[in-house]
Amino acid sequence: MSTLKLDLENYKELLQEYIRTKDEQALYQAEQFSKQSMQHQISPDEIINVHIQSLQEIYPEMPEYIQSSMNFLLETMISYGLAYQEHQSLREKQLELKSEISVAANMQKTLLSTVKPELDEVEIGALSVPAKQMNGDYHHFVYDNQGNLGIAVADVIGKGVPAALCMSMIKYSMDTFPEMRMDPSVILGSLNRVVERNVDSSMFVTMFYGLYNSNDHTFSYSSAGHEPGFYYHKETDEFEEIDVPGLVLGVSADTAYTQYKREVKRGDMIILLTDGVTECRQGERFIEQDEVLDVIKSYSHLPPQDIVDQVYRHFERLQDFHLRDDFTLIVLRRNV
Amino acid sequence: MNLTIDVSHKEDVAYLTLVGEVDAFTAPKLKDTILPLTKEEGQVVEVDFEQVNYMDSTGLGVFISALKSTKEHNSEMKLIHMQDRVYRLFKITGLTEIMNIDSTVQGGM
Amino acid sequence: MDFQSCVNIKKEWDIVGARQLGRDIARKIGFGTVDQARIATAISELARNIYLYAGTGKVCFEALEEIDHKGIAIIAMDNGPGIQEISQVMEDGFSTSGGLGAGLPGVKRLMDEFDIHSEEGKGTEIRVVKWLR
Repeated sequence: MSTLKLDLENYKELLQEYIRTKDEQALYQAEQFSKQSMQHQISPDEIINVHIQSLQEIYPEMPEYIQSSMNFLLETMISYGLAYQEHQSLREKQLELKSEISVAANMQKTLLSTVKPELDEVEIGALSVPAKQMNGDYHHFVYDNQGNLGIAVADVIGKGVPAALCMSMIKYSMDTFPEMRMDPSVILGSLNRVVERNVDSSMFVTMFYGLYNSNDHTFSYSSAGHEPGFYYHKETDEFEEIDVPGLVLGVSADTAYTQYKREVKRGDMIILLTDGVTECRQGERFIEQDEVLDVIKSYSHLPPQDIVDQVYRHFERLQDFHLRDDFTLIVLRRNV
Repeated sequence: MNLTIDVSHKEDVAYLTLVGEVDAFTAPKLKDTILPLTKEEGQVVEVDFEQVNYMDSTGLGVFISALKSTKEHNSEMKLIHMQDRVYRLFKITGLTEIMNIDSTVQGGM
Repeated sequence: MDFQSCVNIKKEWDIVGARQLGRDIARKIGFGTVDQARIATAISELARNIYLYAGTGKVCFEALEEIDHKGIAIIAMDNGPGIQEISQVMEDGFSTSGGLGAGLPGVKRLMDEFDIHSEEGKGTEIRVVKWLR
């Protein structure tokens, strides 16, 4: 049975046997026949042709109207056959594209990889998960050995390949900035000019840039239209939205960014994120901001990396393990 | 999840009424409708958001490129009747500062 | 035997005429039912392209007879706008007629040989051949 031959003789025998016995066995073999035909990319019109020829051989006296009706059926199936062949070739192409994208995704991962600094003064937790193969979110850490920790969190509009390409450009621009300590407002100002010059008019990037000084425990920051993060006050066990004005990167070349500064007390946390976190949906319902904070709070006794992991797991489950948007969450906590 | 776009003209003003969601799937259609309008000098494009309950960043991108186009072609764009959730997006991204947005009906803060 | 006969394509109805003539010639050459159906479908596709994109043109048929094999050639000609990106229209999944037609890749699959010449603003000529097996 496994060596079913895909030829006229075989089909004719099967058909003849079925007409004679109405046996399930013959029907099962017909099923095998059709599966094998698909494996060999035989289109439906060809099977109908085999059927017509078999009929002619089994019933040489077949009435003319049946013959005509079969020809009519054959004619109507030609286009289906073409559509089937096209479908097959598109499927192959899709596989090709998929593997190309996964190569690109791996390259991007290497390109955008960042090392989370291990510091005594501040403990960091960071997680970024793409909704599709390529990530449109970006985060980056720079530590200058003099106690300055720079943190960038960015989100490119849209997802997938275009967003990833844009992100790679941003990463390269940031790498070309001088290695010395730079002010968040200056960094955003220069990036804005890069994006404005080089990116399609409907594309834009939001970015939050923060600089943590672990000598005096101050946090300086600027935002380019980025989803507001949160500041957690250990003393009162309360969250405060870090809501700072600032236009998204790439809209207007002469945008200036304001820089803010605050002191960070022991045990306080800075929470930075992208809209993949705040725009979570449960079915058709949006998650409210308070729910996000409640979840973070419920894990706040854990080390920062565990907090971000647990929060991600929570929202992943809430969305039936299907992310709609890239998800990036960073938690900083002053330890000493 | 769908978006219907209704366009009507009165003198120099083109009124766009949006109903539904503006996301990655519907944004291209919106862009194709709104961009040509902003390319006519002196044209005022008024977009009614009253029945838009969701918009994502792709939608925002459409309005950013429309805004750039109005500056280039000397036309004007006005966004009206925005719901809170959608208004928040324009607020966070700093666009409320540079766009003409009137959110009186739904009380967009 | 070497004759050529043509059908002018001006209205949708002419597509049927082209199919009919092509099928008659194919039958005379000796093509079986399936191949006749395939040839007719290819003719439809070529004639419809003329009707939809060029407005007018013609489809011609040639019975081919070589020492060891016989076949049919179909030549579709028009003076329409021409095709800008031939490689694009030959790609699967790219069909400007709303995805309903088999498109040129379909025609290529139905036939054994496929050749296209197109110049922007001047027109398009497509020649396809099917050999009798």
